[in-house]
Amino acid sequence: MSNSNVIQEANWKFHWRLTESAGIMIYLADYKGKRVLWEGSLPYVTVDHQRESLEVDSAAETHGQWWTPLGTRTIQGPVRVQLFRGGVELSASFASGPYQYTQLWRFHDDGRLCPWLTIYGPGVHDSHTYHPHFRFDFDLDGADEDAFERFEDGRWQRVDQEGWFPYSGEADESGNVWRQVDFGSRASINMRPHSWDDAEVFAIRYHDGEWAPFSPRSAAGSQPFPAAYVGAEDLDGQDLSLWYVAHVHFDQSFPYTAGPWIKVEGLAK
Amino acid sequence: MATSKSVAKGAKGKAKAKAPAKPAKANGNGKAPPAKARKSADVEFADPALFDPLTPGETADALRTLIEDRRVSSMAKVGRYRVICTEPLVVKPPHWMAGHRLARVVAYDYAADRAVDACVDLDAGVVAHLELNKGQPMLSRDEEAIAISVAMSDDRVRGKLELGDTAQSVMHYWGRSPNELAYARRSAAVIFGRATGHASLIAVVDLIDQQVTQVVPAELW
Repeated sequence: MSNSNVIQEANWKFHWRLTESAGIMIYLADYKGKRVLWEGSLPYVTVDHQRESLEVDSAAETHGQWWTPLGTRTIQGPVRVQLFRGGVELSASFASGPYQYTQLWRFHDDGRLCPWLTIYGPGVHDSHTYHPHFRFDFDLDGADEDAFERFEDGRWQRVDQEGWFPYSGEADESGNVWRQVDFGSRASINMRPHSWDDAEVFAIRYHDGEWAPFSPRSAAGSQPFPAAYVGAEDLDGQDLSLWYVAHVHFDQSFPYTAGPWIKVEGLAK
Repeated sequence: MATSKSVAKGAKGKAKAKAPAKPAKANGNGKAPPAKARKSADVEFADPALFDPLTPGETADALRTLIEDRRVSSMAKVGRYRVICTEPLVVKPPHWMAGHRLARVVAYDYAADRAVDACVDLDAGVVAHLELNKGQPMLSRDEEAIAISVAMSDDRVRGKLELGDTAQSVMHYWGRSPNELAYARRSAAVIFGRATGHASLIAVVDLIDQQVTQVVPAELW
């Protein structure tokens, strides 16, 4: 007997569950009968604070980051599943004191996928920045034989090694900045950042044992996750995991919805 | 999971990313697939039931299996640890554990000041993967409750709370500077304020010694 929550709508078939700390997880997602995603989640949203000061030797950020898990202990009400014109969406609200979020997974019948996070709540004061971390383990037509590319210098460029790839302002005609491509099917997963996300993508070779960590915090003095997973391993022809990280400064225009547009292209029917 | 290997290589990660990229093939994905067979095609036939939440019995089974493992015998013997969470884990083919019912158990060992991240194979009844490292997993619910209790018992905190202030939330916190105790020690930040209003006070609690190390008005955080 399975407790899986499976949804089949708008050319998509996917499963979901609420996690302890990574929000709503989507897993085993197929588009038009083809596997697209092994697993996607929101492992954490970190927050750091800045202090406004005119003193020259005053550090703007005096304290470190903090976070609280989005999951079973912070959810407010049930996970909602709703149809909309041309698709289906899941949403859930989370709250922890002055921090409030609504996580969204939207699936469009044209192959678009929107993992988003709406951020609101006052925080402890106005000068703070949110860093939502989305993790995607795409398996386009099988796990291996994928590659990662980014749009740079007016064209798509293959990336050989693991790394950190910030949005430079350049994008293709559809606004896409990063993509994961599959050699066999010639399909691709295209990622378009929100232009105000100040986003970056970490492209990492998938390894068992490097599952989504239960905290961004690694050892003292070490890089946090996912940077701690980045090395010099080859990406070409491998199984990849991608992390989309947004950096959203709080201002008076909140609420703000962070997260990429993702579109599946080229999968044969 | 922070393996020593992955943490060590992380220090150079961002610099590596700056390496110039080479142009993609004309169609962007035109590299011919290797001649070898596609070994991972069976990810398409994964069993969704493996992702199901653990039953109470599976959770108990996973914890029993972990603390009976000799590699964590010192942790079990001293008994100063907190189980952070226990969740299902699904490993992809062609890994030998693919298709097995797995539980991921994350604990924090206060006696050794280390994180324990284990994968328990519930089908085989063994700890199939174990990492012991200096990472800091999220706070357990127990630790959140302890942080509130410690903060509420502190005279400096109580003296600054206003009528109606309560603990709004507990954050997993780590310091920015090595001069701060929370830089290297497991810590929580308790946010106080009105139930429906803004934050008023923040107390940083050292969870190892269970003492308040900082009390900061929220507007000065």
